[in-house]
Amino acid sequence: MSEIALFGAIEIGLVYALVAIGVYLSFRILDFPDLTVDGSFPLGAAVCAVLLIAGVNPWLASLAAALAGAAAGLVTATLNVRFKILHLLASILTMIALFSVNLRVMGRPNVALLMQDTVLTPFYGLGVPDHIVRPLVVGAIVAAVVLLLARFLSSEFGLAMRATGVNARMARAQGVDTDAHVYAGIALSNALTGLAGALFAQTNGFADVTTGIGTIVVGLAAVIVGETVLPARALALALVGCVVGSILYRLAVQLALSADSIGLQASDLNLVTAVLVAVALILPRLKAKASRSTARNPGAAR
Amino acid sequence: MIAVEDIHVTFGRGTPLEKHALRGVDLSIPEGQFVTVIGSNGAGKSTFLGSLAGDVLAEQGRISIDGADVTRWDTPRRAGLVARVFQDPMAGSCAALTIEENMALAAARGRRRGLGLALGSDRRKGFRDRIAALGLGLENRLHDRMGLLSGGQRQAVSLLMATLAGSKILLLDEHTAALDPATADFVLDLTRRIVRDNRLTTLMVTHSMRQALDYGDRTLMLHEGRVVLDVAGEERAGLDVPHLLALFAKQRGGAEISDDSLLIG
Ligand SMILES: Nc1ncnc2c1ncn2[C@@H]1O[C@H](COP(=O)(O)OP(=O)(O)O)[C@@H](O)[C@H]1O
Ligand SMILES: [Mg+2]
Repeated sequence: MSEIALFGAIEIGLVYALVAIGVYLSFRILDFPDLTVDGSFPLGAAVCAVLLIAGVNPWLASLAAALAGAAAGLVTATLNVRFKILHLLASILTMIALFSVNLRVMGRPNVALLMQDTVLTPFYGLGVPDHIVRPLVVGAIVAAVVLLLARFLSSEFGLAMRATGVNARMARAQGVDTDAHVYAGIALSNALTGLAGALFAQTNGFADVTTGIGTIVVGLAAVIVGETVLPARALALALVGCVVGSILYRLAVQLALSADSIGLQASDLNLVTAVLVAVALILPRLKAKASRSTARNPGAAR
Repeated sequence: MIAVEDIHVTFGRGTPLEKHALRGVDLSIPEGQFVTVIGSNGAGKSTFLGSLAGDVLAEQGRISIDGADVTRWDTPRRAGLVARVFQDPMAGSCAALTIEENMALAAARGRRRGLGLALGSDRRKGFRDRIAALGLGLENRLHDRMGLLSGGQRQAVSLLMATLAGSKILLLDEHTAALDPATADFVLDLTRRIVRDNRLTTLMVTHSMRQALDYGDRTLMLHEGRVVLDVAGEERAGLDVPHLLALFAKQRGGAEISDDSLLIG
């Protein structure tokens, strides 16, 4: 793997680390399987790209992308909490709707960012090569998000959010307005995803409606890889695990793609990721089964 | 003070499984009273406690707590006034959170939860002292996940959690039923102590007639959604388990139930 490819993998891993953290919030902390991210990621990219072209400050454009993602999350949460639509279905409805919304936002299927300033612009030309500047800047943003989120989750509000996901009945008996915490958590999850979309657009120089496909699976893959290499109970570490998982996942993908002998193409990525996530979900069951049967029949282990 | 006026609760209204679980419960419970509640399975005991906590809303009647009409309040809103311990030790706490996190959750009951740290060092120290008083050695395990505790330990911590926010009403729904006898006795003693020390108005559902008479100062029997026996003071002091069983049997149309070991406890 070339140096450029290596830093490229780290960079895209860091961008998707924000998705992984968002997915961790919805799937793990709130126990709310939310597929909205497939729509809120390109939404963030689209909103950011359009605003950049309109001459808006890149940080403001990124913030707007996060807010757009939050709004998408609120739609899903409303469909689920208020109208009692199953969470998966609610998020699929939002995701499908967002495909049209994203086309409207951009006015066409993709938008190129050529001359526009991005959050990266001020850091170019300071003597560090561009392909290293990008992961550094994105990494700094991710680090800030991890710190803020870890602090948030250990606040009274954040603790109540975690309780909502673990035992909603108990949380309500302790006076937690669980509905409000689902709204807040899903909005936050998609805000992070929207921000990831904005960073994707700025690091890659384009926004495209199709970039959202499979976002959820990539996010989940990162979460699972992170949990495997960094099995931590402490929340802050679990968030770091999401980041590490996302980077490792991208490095693995890069390796697989660059090894000619395997013969994989970039377009095989979704298939490979889906298989990886499926295997990761199946493995614990197989392991449990194996240990059960060896426990029953100790001789069989030899 | 709790005032319950003629409340009715129906589950699954308009379906083939429609169940009129509470059929006009009318009660007034003065501050500081410890009420035990008995009744056969399906009598409506849990539904009654649920209607006080806000889990089920009464479709008719009125509930007021300390003068406030809470009839339409949902569970989180009532949580500032009412604390509970459930029958299932898993239900009343978060297994995946640590002991101190569970305590922090309970301590914020009835307050706005802001962005301040849930576990500052002052609060940690307070929790350590409170949990040390249980005498279970849990003060050194505040960072352990709740799920690692035994059922009895979890119920003990749940009881303690019920006292952290200063609410004055405690609802116990067969909170010792899932425990072995020795542990159940420990938790019951702890219950008595906590109720006394915090001057809590308490409703305790139990399937044991013995406990119903031994604990507290008033006993209610529910049957088919109604209060069919309500004794306190001298009258109650003169009752023993066979009396209670006889009354119980009468309510059930004279059926022989004395061999129902569950009810003798
Ligand atoms: N959520 C519910 N939905 C439908 N029926 C219920 C529900 N909860 C309780 N019931 C019914 O209401 C009646 C009273 O139940 P409950 O209050 O749990 O009785 P107890 O606690 O005295 O054993 C029972 O017939 C029960 O089947
Ligand atoms: Mg019950």
